Amino acid sequence: MASEPPLLSMSGITKSFPGVRALDGVDLDVQAGEVHCLLGQNGAGKSTLIKVLAGAHQPDTGTIHWRGEAVTLRSPIAAMRLGIATIYQELDLVEHLSVAENVHLGHEPTAAGFVVRGKVARASTAQLLKRLGHPEIDPARLVGELSAAQQQIVSMARALSHDVRLIVMDEPSAALDPDEVDNLFRIVGDLTADGVAVVYISHRLEEIRRIGDRVTVLKDGRAVAGGLPAKTTPTREVVALMTGRNVEYVFPERPTKDVAADKPLLEVRGLARDGEFEPLDLSVRPGEIVGLAGLVGSGRSEILETIYGARKPRAGQVLVDGRALRPGSVRAAVRAGLGLAPEERKAQALLMLESVTRNVSVSSMSRFSRGGWIDRTAELGAARAATRELSLRPDNPNVPVRTLSGGNQQKAVLARWLLRGCRVLLLDEPTRGVDVGARAELYAVVRRLADEGLAVLLVSSEVPEVLGLADRVLVLREGCVVHTAPARELDEHRVLDLVMEGSPAS
Amino acid sequence: MPELTSRRGLLFGSAAIGAGALLVGCTSNESDDEPAANDQPAADDKPGKQVTIGFAGPQADHGWLNAINDNAKSRAKKYSDVTLEITEGSNDTAAQIGQIETLINKKVDVLVVLPADGKALTQVGLKAMRAGIPVINLDRVFNTPQAYRCWIGGDNYGMGLNAGHYIGEKLKGKSNAKVIELAGLDNLELTKQRTQGFDDALKNYPNIKKVARQAAEFTVESGQAKMAQLLQAQSKFDALWNHDDDQGVGALRAIEQAGRDDFLMVGGAGALSAFQAIKQDSGVLKATVLYPPTMAASAIDLARALGQGNGIGGMAEFEIPASITLYSAVVDKTNVDQYMSTGFK
Amino acid sequence: MTQHASPPRDSTDKVPSTGAPPAWRGLMARADVRTLSLLGVLAVLIIIGGITKPDEFLDTRNLQLVLTQASVIGVVTVGMTFVITSGGIDLSVGAIVALASVWATTVATQEYGFGGILFTAVLVGLGCGLVNGLLIAYGGMVPFIATLAMLASARGLALQITDGKTQIVTIPSVLDLGERDAYVLGVPPLVMVFAVVTIIGWLILNRTTFGRRTVAVGGNAEAARLAGIDVRRQRLYLYLLSGLCCGVAAFLLIVLAGSGQNTNGNLYELDAIAAAIIGGTLLSGGRGTITGSVLGVLIFTTITNIFALNNLQSDVQQIAKGAIIVAAVLVQRRTASTT
Repeated sequence: MASEPPLLSMSGITKSFPGVRALDGVDLDVQAGEVHCLLGQNGAGKSTLIKVLAGAHQPDTGTIHWRGEAVTLRSPIAAMRLGIATIYQELDLVEHLSVAENVHLGHEPTAAGFVVRGKVARASTAQLLKRLGHPEIDPARLVGELSAAQQQIVSMARALSHDVRLIVMDEPSAALDPDEVDNLFRIVGDLTADGVAVVYISHRLEEIRRIGDRVTVLKDGRAVAGGLPAKTTPTREVVALMTGRNVEYVFPERPTKDVAADKPLLEVRGLARDGEFEPLDLSVRPGEIVGLAGLVGSGRSEILETIYGARKPRAGQVLVDGRALRPGSVRAAVRAGLGLAPEERKAQALLMLESVTRNVSVSSMSRFSRGGWIDRTAELGAARAATRELSLRPDNPNVPVRTLSGGNQQKAVLARWLLRGCRVLLLDEPTRGVDVGARAELYAVVRRLADEGLAVLLVSSEVPEVLGLADRVLVLREGCVVHTAPARELDEHRVLDLVMEGSPAS
Repeated sequence: MPELTSRRGLLFGSAAIGAGALLVGCTSNESDDEPAANDQPAADDKPGKQVTIGFAGPQADHGWLNAINDNAKSRAKKYSDVTLEITEGSNDTAAQIGQIETLINKKVDVLVVLPADGKALTQVGLKAMRAGIPVINLDRVFNTPQAYRCWIGGDNYGMGLNAGHYIGEKLKGKSNAKVIELAGLDNLELTKQRTQGFDDALKNYPNIKKVARQAAEFTVESGQAKMAQLLQAQSKFDALWNHDDDQGVGALRAIEQAGRDDFLMVGGAGALSAFQAIKQDSGVLKATVLYPPTMAASAIDLARALGQGNGIGGMAEFEIPASITLYSAVVDKTNVDQYMSTGFK
Repeated sequence: MTQHASPPRDSTDKVPSTGAPPAWRGLMARADVRTLSLLGVLAVLIIIGGITKPDEFLDTRNLQLVLTQASVIGVVTVGMTFVITSGGIDLSVGAIVALASVWATTVATQEYGFGGILFTAVLVGLGCGLVNGLLIAYGGMVPFIATLAMLASARGLALQITDGKTQIVTIPSVLDLGERDAYVLGVPPLVMVFAVVTIIGWLILNRTTFGRRTVAVGGNAEAARLAGIDVRRQRLYLYLLSGLCCGVAAFLLIVLAGSGQNTNGNLYELDAIAAAIIGGTLLSGGRGTITGSVLGVLIFTTITNIFALNNLQSDVQQIAKGAIIVAAVLVQRRTASTT
C-alpha cells in the first residue's frame, strides 16, 4: 500500500480567518481503501480541514496532491468531480424535496438535457439505499419526514451517487442509535473493501478503535500526530495528544454526604405527554444529580422540555420547593429557578451573533437594569464573574459566542443559569459536540454546581456519562421509566440491557 | 365577508331590474327613424324612453376621479328616464374587465367606460359593441375606434399648449424669462402629452426658456417634496406650470414654506381649492388649465341620447359624433366665478 | 507535548482580559466599518452634489430641505429597524401613515385643533400596530401576511374616509410648525422630532432590556423563549412601536404637506426596508443598527436631492437609486469582510 502514491496527500496547509489561524501547516495523507480517523478538540481545525478538502475553503498556503498529481480544489463541484464527497455533521439536505431529488440534486438524470427523469432517479436511489442497508426508505418521500438517522443515510446515498473515491464523514454517529451505528460501520467496511477511502471524524474513541486504520490528531490547527495505528495506540496517548495532558479520571468523585433524607427541590408528579412519555414521577434533591438514560426516541429530551415548560403536558405537575409551576410556561419555570441547557445549543440556547456577555446575561437582564436601562458595566462584571467561575476560555466575555468551542459554548449556557441564580439545572446531552478534554472539565463543573446545592437532572445518550456523573439513574424505554437505581449499583451492560429489553428488575 | 355577499345580492337584484328595463330600451334603440330627434338638445329634461346606462370607472382615489363619479351620478339623477348602473371603481384591469362583463351580461342599454388602462380594456369594449351595447369611451382611449361608439375626453396636449400660451403671454416682453414645470406621474402617457404641448407652446416665445422639470406623482406629498427641491434648484424663475391641482396643494405648501412669491403659477385640472386661490389672488397661483371632470356628465348625456336614438342639440346630424375632444380652457381671475361650481375637492 | 500547547490558544485570545474598552474593539470595529462605509457613500454623494451644483447644494437651506424631507420616512425607518431586527417585517407602514394622516385631518378631528390632530395620528398608528402585533404575536400569523393585510385594509379605510379628496389642514398652529418661522436656531421642528426619535430609538435598541430582547428574539426566537423571554409579548410591543412611529410620521407629514390624503406614505414600506437593509440591519433578524438606518435614509434623500437639483428625470432617478442600493451593500460587504 505504501509503495503506490497515496490517494490524497495534503501538505503544509494553512488557513487564516480574521483573528484566527485555523490551520497552521497541516499534513494529511490518505490511502485508498483505508479508514483514516481525524481526531481533535472542537476548534482544533478539523472542520476547516475538511472544508478545504471539500473545496469549500481555499487554503492560504500548502499543496494538495490527488493520486500523485497536484490539484487545486477551487469549489465544492471541483472536489466532487475528482471523487471527494463530504457528509457534514449538519446535514445539508433540502427538506421539501424527495429523497431521490436530494440524492440527485445538481446532477439529475435528464432527458433532452432538462427534463428530469424522475423514475430513473428513484430507481437508482432505491438501489443506493439498498446498498446502504436501508431499502425501507422510500425514494419518493420528502426528506423532512425522515428521522435524523435516515437523513444521514440519504446524505450518504447522495455521496455515493457520484463516482466517489474518498468520503469525508463528519461525526456521522452523533445522531445514531447503537444498531444504526453498526449499520454505519458495515457500510464503511463495504466502501473500503471497494477501495474507497474514508476520512472519519468522531469524538468517540471506541468507534475509532473499531473501524479506524490510522489516526491523525489535530490540535490548535496543527497535526500533532499523523498516521498512528488506530487499533493499537493507547487511548490515553490519543487523549493526551488531543488535550495536551493526561486524563486519568474523567468523572469527578461523588460527594460522601448522603442527600437522600433532604427534601426534594424538584418534584415531578404524573407528568405525561401523548405519544412521548407515560405518567412520570421523579424527584431531585439539592446537591443531587439524577440521570435519565435511554435511547433516541425514549422521550428523554421531551421530558426535560416538558418539565421546563417548553412543552405543555397532558397531565401532571412540576413542583419546585413544593410549589406547583404553571404548566407549559417557560417563564414560570425560569422564575421558579429552573434552567435548561438544551440539546441543540446553537438552535435552542445561543444567540450566535452576540457576545458571550449578552448570551450569559440574557436571562438575568432585570438584575443589571433599572427601568429597562441596562448598566453595562455591572452586566459585564457579572458575566465575567460567571464565566470565570466556569473557567470559560477565552477569558474575555466580549468575544462573539460563535467563536467559542463546543465545550465553552456549553459553559456559556451554564454561566447564564449560574448568573440567574438557578436552583434546578436541566442538562440535555450536555457534552454533545464537546471533545474529551473539555468533557472532563464540564463534568467537574456540573458536579461542583451540585455540591453547591443545585439539583441537576441530566439526560444523555451516552450511558457511561450518565453512570459516571449521576448519583441516581432512571432508565427509560419508550417513554416509560423501567428502572431506578443509584448509579454505583449499575454498569453499562446492565443499563443497555434494560434499555433494550426493558425487563424491569427492581 | 357578510358585506361582500350582501353586496353581491344587491347586484343580482339590480340586474333583474336592468333586464326589465332592457325590454323597453331594445325596441327604442333599433328605431332611429325619429326625425325630431336631432332637434332635441342632449340634455333635454323632457323624459324620453327609459335608458339603463352602465358606468365603469377606476377607483376614485384621486380628487379628479372622484369628481368624475360625482358628475356621472348627479347628471343621471337629473333624468327620470335614466337608470345608472355604477360599478365599484377598480384600478385592477382584470377586475374592471369583470365588472364590465357583468354589465354586458345585465344587458344595459349603453355603457360608459373610463378604463383604468385604455389599451388593456380594448377587448372588453369590443365585446360590448359586438353584443350590441354601444360604448361611450370616457377620457382614456381604447386601442381601436371599433371598441367604442363615441369617445369623449380631455385634451392633455391642449392643456400643456394652453398653459404654455397663457404663461407666454404673461411673460411677453420679459427677456430671458425662465419657466419650470412640475409634471405628473412620468409613467403615464398623458404626462408626456402635457409636457409636449407645453414645450410646443413655449417655442412661440423665444424669450422664454424652460430651465427645469421634475415629475411628482399626483399626490400632495410628492407635490410638496418635488416642489421643495425645484425651489432649491432654481433660485430665480418667472413662471411655473404644475400639471395637477391635487399635487398643487403640496406644491403651494412648499412654495409657502420656502417663502417664495416671485413668480406666477399655473395649475392643471380645475380643483375647487385652486379656483378659490385664483379668486382670492393672494398667492402665486394665477390660473389653472381645465381638464374638466364635467366630461362624465356629458358622457351621461351622450349615453342617454344614444339610448333614445337622439343626436346632439345644436348639431345638424341625427347621430352623436364619434369623437369629442374637450377644450382645456384657462381659468383665471377674469372667469373663475363661472367655473367655481365645477371645481372638485 | 503537554506544556507548549498553550501559546497557540493564546493567539486566538490576544485581547487583554482586563478593562472593557480594548475588548470591545473587536465587536465595535465591525459596526464601525459598516457605519464608516455608509458615511463614505454619503461623503461621495456630497462631493458629487457639491461639484455639480455648488451654489444650490452646499447651502444651509438645502441642508434644511434634505433633513426635512428625510424626517418623515426617517421616523418610519426607526420603527421598521426594530421590527426587522426582531426577525419580522412591517409592510403596512405606508398605509398606516396614510390612514393616520387622513383620520387626523378630517373636518371632525380638526375641530379639536393641534392636540386633536396629533393625538389622533398617534392613536391610529398605535391602533394599527396593536392589530398587527396581536395577529402576529398571538394569532400566529406570519408578519409578511398580517402586515400585508393591514396594508390593504388601512389603505382602503383611508380611501373611504377621504373619498379620494384632499383634506386641507386649516389649523394655523399645525401649519406654522412647517414654516421657516418655526425653525429654532435654523433647525426645522420636523428635523428635531426626527433627531429625538433617532436618539431614543438608538438608546432603546442599544441600552435597554427592550433592545436586548428585540435582538434576542430576532437572532434566535427559540433560544430567547427558552432563556425565559416572553417572545410573544415582545413581538406585540415591536409592532406597537412601529405603529407609533408611523403615527408620529403621519403627524410630521401633515405638518409638511399641510394636508391629509389617502395616497400619503406611498411605498414607504419599501423605502424604509431598503434604508434599514443598506444601513446594515439583517433582514433575517438578530442585528440592527439605528445609526445605519438613519444613514440609509439620508443617503436616499440626498440622492433624490442631487438628482432634482441637476434636473434629472424620474426614470434616471429610479435606475440610479437601484444601482446605489446595490453599490452600497457591496461596498459594505467588501469592507466588512476585509477587516
